[in-house]
Amino acid sequence: MDADRRSFLKGAAMAAASAAVAGQQETFALPIVDQPVDADGGVLWNKAPCRFCGTGCHVQVGVQDGRVVAVAGDKNADVNKGLLCVKGYHVGSILYGKDRLTKPLLKKEDDYVEIEWDEAIDIVAKRIQDAPEKFAFYGSGQWTIPEGFAAQKFMKGGLGNNHIDPNARLCMASAVTGFLATYGVDEPAGCYADLDECDVLITWGNNPAEMHPVLFSRVIDRRSRGEQVRLIDIGTRRTRTTDAADDFLLMQPHGDVAIALGIMHLLIEDDSYDKDFVEANCAFRSPQSEGPTLQGEAISFDEYKTRIAKYTPEHVEELSGVPADKIRMLAGLFGDRNLRITSTWCMGMNQHTMGTAVNSLVHGVHFLSGHFGKPGDSPTSLTGQPSACGTVREVGTLAHALPGGRLVAKEDHRTQCEELWNVPAGRINPVPGYHTVKMFEQFTKSSADGGDIDTLFVQVTNPGQTLPNLNKLFNDKKNLKDKFLIVAEVYPTATTVLADLILPAAMWVEKNGMFGNSERRTQQWFKMVDPPGEARDDCWMTIAIAHRLMELGHEGMKNKDGEFIFAVQDEDGNEVPVWEWEHYYDVNVDKAIFEEYRHFTTMKHKNLAPYDEYVKARGLRWPVVEQEDGAWRETKFRFAAFDDPFVAEGRDIEFYHSTSGDGRGQIWFHDYQPPPEVPDDEFPLWLCTGRVLEHWHTGTMTRRVASLNRAMPTGYVEVHPDDAAELNVRQGEVVIVESRRGVCELPVWIDGRGKPPRGTVFVPFFDETKLINNVTLDAHDPFSKQPDYKKCAARIRRRSMEVSQG
Amino acid sequence: MSGFKTSDRVTGRSTTVFLVCVIGVAAVGYCVGVSDGVPKSDSQLSINSIPAEQGGERSADARPVSVNGVEIPSIEATNYADMRRSEEGPTSHWKMGLDQIPQPAYDLLTPPKPTPEEKLQSTRIRATRRAFNGAPPIIPHAVERTSDGACYACHGKGMKIGDQVAGQMSHGFLANCTQCHAPPPPTPFADVDASVASNYVGLPAPTQGKRAFPGAPPTIPHSTLMRESCLVCHGGKTAWSGFESTHPWRSSCTQCHAPSAALEQAPSPAEVDMLPGLRVIDR
Repeated sequence: MDADRRSFLKGAAMAAASAAVAGQQETFALPIVDQPVDADGGVLWNKAPCRFCGTGCHVQVGVQDGRVVAVAGDKNADVNKGLLCVKGYHVGSILYGKDRLTKPLLKKEDDYVEIEWDEAIDIVAKRIQDAPEKFAFYGSGQWTIPEGFAAQKFMKGGLGNNHIDPNARLCMASAVTGFLATYGVDEPAGCYADLDECDVLITWGNNPAEMHPVLFSRVIDRRSRGEQVRLIDIGTRRTRTTDAADDFLLMQPHGDVAIALGIMHLLIEDDSYDKDFVEANCAFRSPQSEGPTLQGEAISFDEYKTRIAKYTPEHVEELSGVPADKIRMLAGLFGDRNLRITSTWCMGMNQHTMGTAVNSLVHGVHFLSGHFGKPGDSPTSLTGQPSACGTVREVGTLAHALPGGRLVAKEDHRTQCEELWNVPAGRINPVPGYHTVKMFEQFTKSSADGGDIDTLFVQVTNPGQTLPNLNKLFNDKKNLKDKFLIVAEVYPTATTVLADLILPAAMWVEKNGMFGNSERRTQQWFKMVDPPGEARDDCWMTIAIAHRLMELGHEGMKNKDGEFIFAVQDEDGNEVPVWEWEHYYDVNVDKAIFEEYRHFTTMKHKNLAPYDEYVKARGLRWPVVEQEDGAWRETKFRFAAFDDPFVAEGRDIEFYHSTSGDGRGQIWFHDYQPPPEVPDDEFPLWLCTGRVLEHWHTGTMTRRVASLNRAMPTGYVEVHPDDAAELNVRQGEVVIVESRRGVCELPVWIDGRGKPPRGTVFVPFFDETKLINNVTLDAHDPFSKQPDYKKCAARIRRRSMEVSQG
Repeated sequence: MSGFKTSDRVTGRSTTVFLVCVIGVAAVGYCVGVSDGVPKSDSQLSINSIPAEQGGERSADARPVSVNGVEIPSIEATNYADMRRSEEGPTSHWKMGLDQIPQPAYDLLTPPKPTPEEKLQSTRIRATRRAFNGAPPIIPHAVERTSDGACYACHGKGMKIGDQVAGQMSHGFLANCTQCHAPPPPTPFADVDASVASNYVGLPAPTQGKRAFPGAPPTIPHSTLMRESCLVCHGGKTAWSGFESTHPWRSSCTQCHAPSAALEQAPSPAEVDMLPGLRVIDR
């Protein structure tokens, strides 16, 4: 750490001590100061990515007296160009909720006792030492890259245990499998610049007006400048995105699969597909009829044409509810080579039991029509978490993966990692660990019944609220005395309710960090303020536990040379005891870990620059490749010769990790399958869950911000007026939403912010006092293992009925 | 925040509408009296409840009512249970009427005389709407229509009616207002306790810029990001009292008032580099 950083932090720390004045603030109204505040000199500003979604806006953080006092959009950031959303502007106040966790807490019967960190680390290390194979690590797309890498190395390179999976499994696993199936390698080809260039934007089951508002504005603000952008919204309910749309195509759940098939059918039938593009760059593929795999099997173009022939516009109308002429309209747009068409999607296509299929099919629509590889012509998945891409997909903190796009099942991948980590050959376990749903099944099942996970460490996420079917996957833990749940958190949550040990965590600019956003952009920030009380970095926790395990004699915590696997040297080459908190910031541990991680990234051509390059930039999009003059160049458009340095000479487009081994991308055929559960007489309503603009995911942070909570103070159920009339429920009345799996009480919002069609209700999941995931279904995609939160059968009952029926 | 003051003309029209409604409710209420009051969609509601001359359309099934053998045309009434706080609610018809309300003339050439008391008062009001200086203000009034057009009706050019001011947007047109400006709770949940327990203390608003000497033009003490139009707050009919420029007819503000490179996020090295000084040696 250079001298400037050190003195900045020291000053910040000293100031924090004198900043306890904050205490009596009742509302978020500003105190009126008597003397002028020297806005030029009194506030230190520094860059950081926003803490919330996957857009990855950069903010300028204003720090005064050791506290975050203001936030501004970063004018120099390419992602957001000075603009933020209402969450981003208020991101500073997430640090200051009164109930921040500040001491390690150990459960004692129904209460908690404060314990020292040393004891807490001891408890965790001993649980792991007793049964390392029964330990699981549940992480997050909000882990910073170094946090995720440390956890990954600790588990796979240290314990030889692959039971590590992230919440991103619930969020974008189907996007990953879709990219792998199509490109042969994960993550989007395009970037946000596509939004500046497209003539048509299609949002597939996607509501960016609320979930990615800065990206949404980036598109619709073009209209204010006189540009023409046609927005086509395909969805199961009307949203704020629909308000700005030129066309709204209301579809039945799973209709997206049929729509994509219908477009491809028409492109073939009308002979409007891009023959040159397909000839040069595409191959055809379909799942095997027996034992389908993610790679599938090659099929001929003729075979593909035969199979897709039945998806006529009329048949698609039957399956999707979208009128046949609208399918023709979409096919007409894709058939027009003069348009630039960008598709975006998020949870609608990912939280889907055909998630891998529909992702692949939408890529296929773009391939077949040649709408690929030019700015504005791109299929792009948007992520919901700030580092779902950076930490989960790239570091590979998934039960089957290793860093840099490697797989535990592949021997050469394991060998490469063992060499890069300098650990003995055979350290890495070749059998994939438990994916999220399975991990929690095994944890909440008693040991006698084969539940072979008995200690679970949760960092930076809230599974007690976000897992589907909570009664099956989480709530049972309550009665299992031999199961031990460790939760590192910043606030009490639905997960800490069942925790046996709670570790207080530092968050956002209370620590150094790096994120990777939706457009392959790796971002870096420095610690700016101290965490409250005894809250500490998640990365430090992992390292401290690892070191204690080494002290307890666990050989896995040493590398081949007998050194600690997380040994960090200072500039003079002396080892710094970073496992001791007081020395953790003597060096920049993030930099040390990132420099180690960087060498894993070149195999899949996701090259990262040295740490110091990210200090200077507002993020860089990989592959970042060193130029002859020593400069580092980012890549905006992958697989396209005009921008991607890895495309072979003489090709316009090359998928250099192609499944078919010939540089071609795969156009998939998948047959339409109905949803896993559909409404019936007993449960007549479709239930869809999702998010709102003001709250981020489980609301742990945003529900502690006054202006956000004021705007959206409670969870609710959106009901169509006719359904409300039939059910005889009134505006604001609290009703029971129930499925075969559980119940949730929610106030009714008729014609709410979103407007579901007759027979559909929508519930946002942010409210920890109204857990809709007691009701949702845990059915999941066969390849991505991502559950479908977007559709299941439910019904609404009035509470008064319950009373009258006794 | 209370609504706009009503003019006599509007009051008169409202009375007519009210009387028609009373008759309608009496008649139609009989027919629907046994209904259990299941609400209808807000969109249906708002169309029926806005008089035609304000831009609403008559419902197709509005039917004449016969009183003592005389047919009286009526607007279809809504039953009481339907008359809840409508989503389209308090601001639903503003767009139709407000832009026609005459605006007070603004005299550009009479210098305002802002007082410190007014300035403090305005600072206080502004502070209740911002988590910190530079935060986008929350929306302080009921609003359910969140389309940009609804906001733009009043905030596009700014409005002043009586004491009520709808400030002009201080930045260029951005199409998704509620992306940054948090609205009050949705009407069905208006009574939910939304208080939070927080220790957050935002950056206070600066009270003045720096002057090099008495009488020198002060520097701009805040960032101008999203505050590009100075006169929105510092002059014109929607200016904050106490914040007004003493010379509103001058419109090239940065000619005299210097912004801060740091606050503007312009390149600003920690120290201003200069060429090395001259070496002066003894003769």
